[in-house]
Amino acid sequence: MQLNPRKGRLTAALGLMTANLFAGALCAHTAQAQDSQNASQNINDDTSTDANLTRVDSAILFYQEANGRVKAIEPVTSVTLNDDSGDSLHVKLTADTLTGATPNGAAPWTAAQTFVTPSKTQGQKTTVTSASGNSQLVTIPGTDVTARQYTTPANTLPVDSGFRDQRYAIDLGYTGTLDNGDRLNLGGAWSTEHDYNSMSANIGYARDFNDKNTTVSAELNFEHDTSKPFFGTPEPFTEMSGVSKGGNRTKNVVDFVGGVTQVMNRYWLAQINYSLGDTSGYQTDPYRVISVVDGNSGAPVKYLYESRPGSRIRQSLYLGNKIALWGTVADVSARLYHDSWGINAETLEVAERIPLTSFLYVEPSYRYYHQSKANFFHDYLIDGQPLPAYASSDSRLATFNANTIALKVGMRVLGNDELYLRAASYQQSGTSHPASAIGDLKTENLFTGVKATSVILGYSFAFY
Amino acid sequence: MKNDLMRRAGLAVIAGGCLLLGGCSSLGAKAWDRDLMARRSMQPVTHPLIAGADDHIYFSKEGASGGRTFDGGGCGCN
Repeated sequence: MQLNPRKGRLTAALGLMTANLFAGALCAHTAQAQDSQNASQNINDDTSTDANLTRVDSAILFYQEANGRVKAIEPVTSVTLNDDSGDSLHVKLTADTLTGATPNGAAPWTAAQTFVTPSKTQGQKTTVTSASGNSQLVTIPGTDVTARQYTTPANTLPVDSGFRDQRYAIDLGYTGTLDNGDRLNLGGAWSTEHDYNSMSANIGYARDFNDKNTTVSAELNFEHDTSKPFFGTPEPFTEMSGVSKGGNRTKNVVDFVGGVTQVMNRYWLAQINYSLGDTSGYQTDPYRVISVVDGNSGAPVKYLYESRPGSRIRQSLYLGNKIALWGTVADVSARLYHDSWGINAETLEVAERIPLTSFLYVEPSYRYYHQSKANFFHDYLIDGQPLPAYASSDSRLATFNANTIALKVGMRVLGNDELYLRAASYQQSGTSHPASAIGDLKTENLFTGVKATSVILGYSFAFY
Repeated sequence: MKNDLMRRAGLAVIAGGCLLLGGCSSLGAKAWDRDLMARRSMQPVTHPLIAGADDHIYFSKEGASGGRTFDGGGCGCN
């Protein structure tokens, strides 16, 4: 997963494009506002309709996890063309650049641990320096296979610092209004990474009732993904090694979302959605292993590639509310989630948009999340015991809570534009020292959840 | 236990949905009272790019996804 120079230039170009859009948009918009001699309107009175307008929305996301883990920079630009009948055409371009260290799934231990994984570089025996400076190329004894080896210090979460990836995505969408006022959405998305491709298509239908106070909608999404690590996909529960694995693997996802949006009264909009998703195919993380430890001491004996079920049914129920009171707008939402892997999750989000002046508002928000673990989650497996059908130590499948606090600031610069900034702090907390831990694993922090901060800076404007 | 809870929650929601749909005719605002509803700040999603980034981040860090719309998938998301 090394950086490809050509794609690196593409990311730089997209970043530059976003920066130019920010700068160019301001200049162009200044000229337009002066031409039309339109005074800037109150940002708190903006209407949701962009009839006959083209809206350009550009943003850049900076995301950083604590302790040198994943860092992402993501420029994104969207353009929406609207006509006066409510029809619209939407294009969104996204570029992700990810670097940093990602947990490899092994449990920490009281002594240093060495891991061997396939290397992209074959036929060379050259020491290379990774972000943590502990990764090197080695030749597997008795073979001419070059592998990458890295060592994790004692009492430290094992991470692979060789994590680098880039992702490019394009989303297209069209909304058409029928003669009877119903809306039909058609869309598609495509994205590519070094080791992953995804393509999807969606269709949606919406109809208004009760003098447009009630909207009923239904959407279907079909997605086809291909997992294609450069070394292939490992056979589940085989031992971690530097040799190449099997071929690419795929999965298919079908999602349905049905919802009702209801104007409750002049001040209150409510929304309820039911979602059903069916994923079938390869859902295992090809890079992730799980430690097999000694049943008495807890010392690592070997590392096996993890294994997840090939089928997952997901259901969720979402309830959203927007409430306008005393000039502010409250956003209160909740979600209940359940899937066939045994994960149950509850999410609660609250945000309050507070106008400060005619051109400035702030919006503090808070999000609480809790999930129970998947029924095949294990911090580690015990040597000598029969292997379960599936096992993963991925913290995303563990029991944990997560809290997000964020602050958004929106500002009108000119006309109908908005410059916005949203900073967020996200922290997961889970069971670091499970009572069932074996031997010296009792002293290790077995929860590998993340703590992250993110900042999004965006600029949106519309023109004829 | 959890399945039972989810089943009950599902039934409650279906019942709530029916009540909502059945009672919708008595809810709502007249056309001349929709000034607040027409505002961008009252839309379910006011900043699509922020919502998209959040969906993508939560999709890659948590077990649950989706709800408001399709989940933020389409990535390997290590």
